[in-house]
Amino acid sequence: MSLYSQNGYGHMSYGGPSYTQTSGYYQPPAAPAPFYHVDPNTFRRDYASRLAELTINSRPIIQSLSMIAQEYTRFSEIVAQCLEAHIRRVPHWMKLPGLYLLDAISKNVFEPYAREFAPYVIPLFLEAYREVDQNTRSKMEEMLLTWRTGGANGKELFGVVPQVTIERGVWGGDSGQADPTSGFYSGSGQISKSQVLSELEFTLGQKERALQANPYDNVSQNHLNVLQQLRKLVEAGVSQDELRQILNQLRSFSQSTAPPPLAPAPTSTPASTSPSYNGSLYPRPYPPPASYSNQGPPPGFPVPTDRPSYLQQPKTEQVNITSLLPSSQLASSSPSAPVHSAAPISNITNLYNALLKAGVVSASATPTGAGETAKVDESKPEPVDLAKTTSREYRRTILSQKVKLSSAGITKTRPELIHFLYDRLPVQCKQCGIRFADNSVGKKEMQDHLDMHFRQNRKASQNTGRGHSRSWFIGVDDWIHDVSVDVKGKGRTDGHRPLNAKAAAAAMIAKRDAELRALYVVVPPGDEAKPVSCPICKETIKSEFLEDDEDWVWKNATKKDDRIYHATCHAEAVASTNNLLAARLRNELASGSRGGTPEVHSSRSTPPKHGVRSSHSPSPQSKPGGTKRKVENEDASLNAEADGSPPMKKLALES
Amino acid sequence: MENEKKTDSREWELDAETEYRFELDPGTSLAIKLVQGQAEVFGTELAEGKQYLFGSECKASVFTWQGCVLEISHPSTEYVSEETPMATYANLHIAFEQMRVRALNAVHGSPNSDDDSDANAEPPRVLVLGPENSGKTTVCKILTNYAVRAGQDWSPLLVNVDTSEGGWSCPGAISAAPVHSPLPTCSPANPLGSAATSAPTALSSNALLPLVYWYGHTETKRNPLLLDRLIRNLGDNVREKYDADPEGRASGIIVDTPSSFASSSSSSSSSDHRHTLIKSCVDAFGINVILVVGHEKLNVEMQRTYGSRLSVVKIPKSGGVVELDHSYRERVHNYQLRTYMYGQVIEAPPGISSATLGGETMTDLVLSPSSVVIGFDDLTIYRIGEESMAPSSALPIGGTRILSEMQPVLIDPAQSGSGLLNAVLALLAPLNPNDSERYDEEILDLNVTGFLIITSLDIQSRKMTILAPNQGSFAGRTAVVGSFEWQDQ
Repeated sequence: MSLYSQNGYGHMSYGGPSYTQTSGYYQPPAAPAPFYHVDPNTFRRDYASRLAELTINSRPIIQSLSMIAQEYTRFSEIVAQCLEAHIRRVPHWMKLPGLYLLDAISKNVFEPYAREFAPYVIPLFLEAYREVDQNTRSKMEEMLLTWRTGGANGKELFGVVPQVTIERGVWGGDSGQADPTSGFYSGSGQISKSQVLSELEFTLGQKERALQANPYDNVSQNHLNVLQQLRKLVEAGVSQDELRQILNQLRSFSQSTAPPPLAPAPTSTPASTSPSYNGSLYPRPYPPPASYSNQGPPPGFPVPTDRPSYLQQPKTEQVNITSLLPSSQLASSSPSAPVHSAAPISNITNLYNALLKAGVVSASATPTGAGETAKVDESKPEPVDLAKTTSREYRRTILSQKVKLSSAGITKTRPELIHFLYDRLPVQCKQCGIRFADNSVGKKEMQDHLDMHFRQNRKASQNTGRGHSRSWFIGVDDWIHDVSVDVKGKGRTDGHRPLNAKAAAAAMIAKRDAELRALYVVVPPGDEAKPVSCPICKETIKSEFLEDDEDWVWKNATKKDDRIYHATCHAEAVASTNNLLAARLRNELASGSRGGTPEVHSSRSTPPKHGVRSSHSPSPQSKPGGTKRKVENEDASLNAEADGSPPMKKLALES
Repeated sequence: MENEKKTDSREWELDAETEYRFELDPGTSLAIKLVQGQAEVFGTELAEGKQYLFGSECKASVFTWQGCVLEISHPSTEYVSEETPMATYANLHIAFEQMRVRALNAVHGSPNSDDDSDANAEPPRVLVLGPENSGKTTVCKILTNYAVRAGQDWSPLLVNVDTSEGGWSCPGAISAAPVHSPLPTCSPANPLGSAATSAPTALSSNALLPLVYWYGHTETKRNPLLLDRLIRNLGDNVREKYDADPEGRASGIIVDTPSSFASSSSSSSSSDHRHTLIKSCVDAFGINVILVVGHEKLNVEMQRTYGSRLSVVKIPKSGGVVELDHSYRERVHNYQLRTYMYGQVIEAPPGISSATLGGETMTDLVLSPSSVVIGFDDLTIYRIGEESMAPSSALPIGGTRILSEMQPVLIDPAQSGSGLLNAVLALLAPLNPNDSERYDEEILDLNVTGFLIITSLDIQSRKMTILAPNQGSFAGRTAVVGSFEWQDQ
């Protein structure tokens, strides 16, 4: 059993609750390379190179790769090929992350990926399984178990046949006999101890998480005890028949606990827009558990649909078991196991009874379960008052500290003060170390904070190659009116996103900038290769292939009077003055400064008329006409020479 | 993988209230991972299991209140110290928290529950003074970080009037920015977090929005009149900001000062300007607490001058401060300008694959400035005061200065010896569009939009190449040159 770490699901660090549980595995996404998806070949190359970064179990990488897969389902075949090649190629200690990715993609985007993966998943899994170490194996086994119900409607993720084949490959069992149509659960082949243990462990994990989510759930507590006993028993060694019976029990048991249709998991929403997606990716970090999303909600108390058969089945088995088990074995196994129920369970019959009973109880407990979910929902919108009371409490405690602000008063050591910096806010973001209170308000803030990280990571990974640059400092008025409005509870998260209410001004600027950058001009056919530069900043305007429209476009471009400008340059030029003349003059000056180039320029940067797709640039139509340029240019330099004052200013003054 | 990991990392186990100190040599970097326990770098808590990178000759320390285990990769000079002034700083923090709480209560009109009811309800507005190498900036940083860590939505205003240090911009500038999240430490190039970029950042302290004024020189005595005016300008804007936001005001102000404010020079004239500048800070920001870091004489001096109307508190300096020489400071200026333009780039030590720089993914901190060729006439460049100004005392008896120290002097790039090549320019905010509100010295009162560097001058064709932080047009704008130069090496 030592194979199984305490934190059995820690390895699921890409998906679920383990966000808060796992220790060292979380890594920030590595170098989000520019990513253009133009054609299948480029896509293949890019995807393969990104896959190559998946050398460690890093959730962000897995997440971003899986998001790309989701966005480009039309390239599903390529994704599948790349992934297969990757997993086959990498050394054994890198296989697990690859398999996790496969797992994540096929669960999140069941259609079409599960279908794409199905053909090769059997050999791939089994070959990897043979190569990896014992620890990784157990993780793969756990993953395999989630595949049983990972598909649509709780079916096998890759279909019955692959599932059965892999399971047999992993746990042994006689081949050929299984009848896929009847479902493999009834497979009567050889059952290995390790298989039973794996499954036991799996069910135990489910229960444990359920219990964590809901510590007062006696039913789960009971189940847990029974399962632990069972495990001891199996470890001690039981016969083949017993193994089978236990397995059958287990399966019907865990099936009944597994939530029926697993569809709602991340399958649905595309990554780009919906905030609810964030929610499902960080499913409520606190309280810790909430099982891995595809494993479904905490396996609380769904109605076992197959209850009747479930009840009847064991009856016959009990007899067998009692008769089969040597009493000595039972004796050895039982004492060490503390059990919840009144009488200590001293033989396997009782154990089975308990298990059975537990099943029954779980069935009848459904209403309570439902009630509890309802309660959780109700408790959600409470926080406002709590926020007030907590901060009032904080202020009271702070004021009660006896610290005098004087050279002598501050030298005394007061170890209790450390409490204010650490323990008072016990919930900590694993990424940046910022702390939050351990109450519903703090949790809400933490949630928002994590969402912020997620959005930020996604933004970083979607960075489309346009490099970043230092922003201009904000103006006095924006700075003064960056009013930190009293937004209790929201404040801290907002604080981390200066682009929110805290700096509406800066946000506006950024937004306007983004809008401008989003403007584009379609490159006239045939002109793709011609370099075009902005008359204002002289930089070449980059062209890019726009997938949606299947057109080459100049990005961040706007077309004014047959010349192509950077939209940002143009807007700035226009905005910095309302004076039409000055604007025109500036354009002229700018081109004039190139000494002779303008002619060349204007011919080059003036492609034949072609539609400007969108140009909501706030500019009045400025007219950088070519004819009067010379005259104005001279005027300006004259002015400048005359008295040394800046020509612009002069001009603005005069007009 | 095993081999890589083993390269050169070492574990340190720290007892409670001790700190691990390190000093990096040029060109080296260091990664620190908190393995267990709790630890903080200048008040910013480290997240467990993350690799934090330090570079650019960073000299810093990791302090732990309750003990921790650190894993260090590729250390340079390093040692553990048990004597830290952190307990004092924590007391200070609590004292300031009390002031904040009282101030906020006053805003809300709720009564203060403590017995000290006659205590005034002003938020802490702290001026930190101290000689060179006393750790003033670190004190400011720790106090700011503790305030934002309280979880009370405090966003103290951090003001940098230390002209020898850039704060968020370039050396020679003074600036102020509200801080919402802990300020990371990774390099002396951005000791107080970094100013906003177009990159998405996780921490708002890597996207600060400072208000910047340009003084242009390291030495405060070079043009104290100008500095005084800029400080007052900054103060006016701070006051206006807080008038509009009484709750934000409760978070208080922390002002970092240059060491020349504390230098006890014998010459009376430099002492004069020092007092003038301290006074202008006190007035401009409404200072009510002066912290004197490890300087007995200055403490007494301040007690005498201000003791009657505000609290003057002497605090110990940390034993960890490093004596920094002139060439180091020069290099830091270089790092700062580079970081302003190109972002923070620190090579991770070998074997460290994914590390964070001040809590951010490293790739996001790489910036691309833009290089533009513009005509001489597009940008109007001024210098404030004469370039090399003799002190008034050196003038012939009866002679008066022809140029005032505050006079903007237009510079013609076409003239040889303009000194513009490689000069750092501060691009000013646009002049007032309304001419009736124009005035002679308007340039002195304009804040900075960004910094430019003239990388080449072509006098014949009257063009110059300018390195700018991002794209944009400079036509018709005004810039001011100081005494800083930078070459992209």
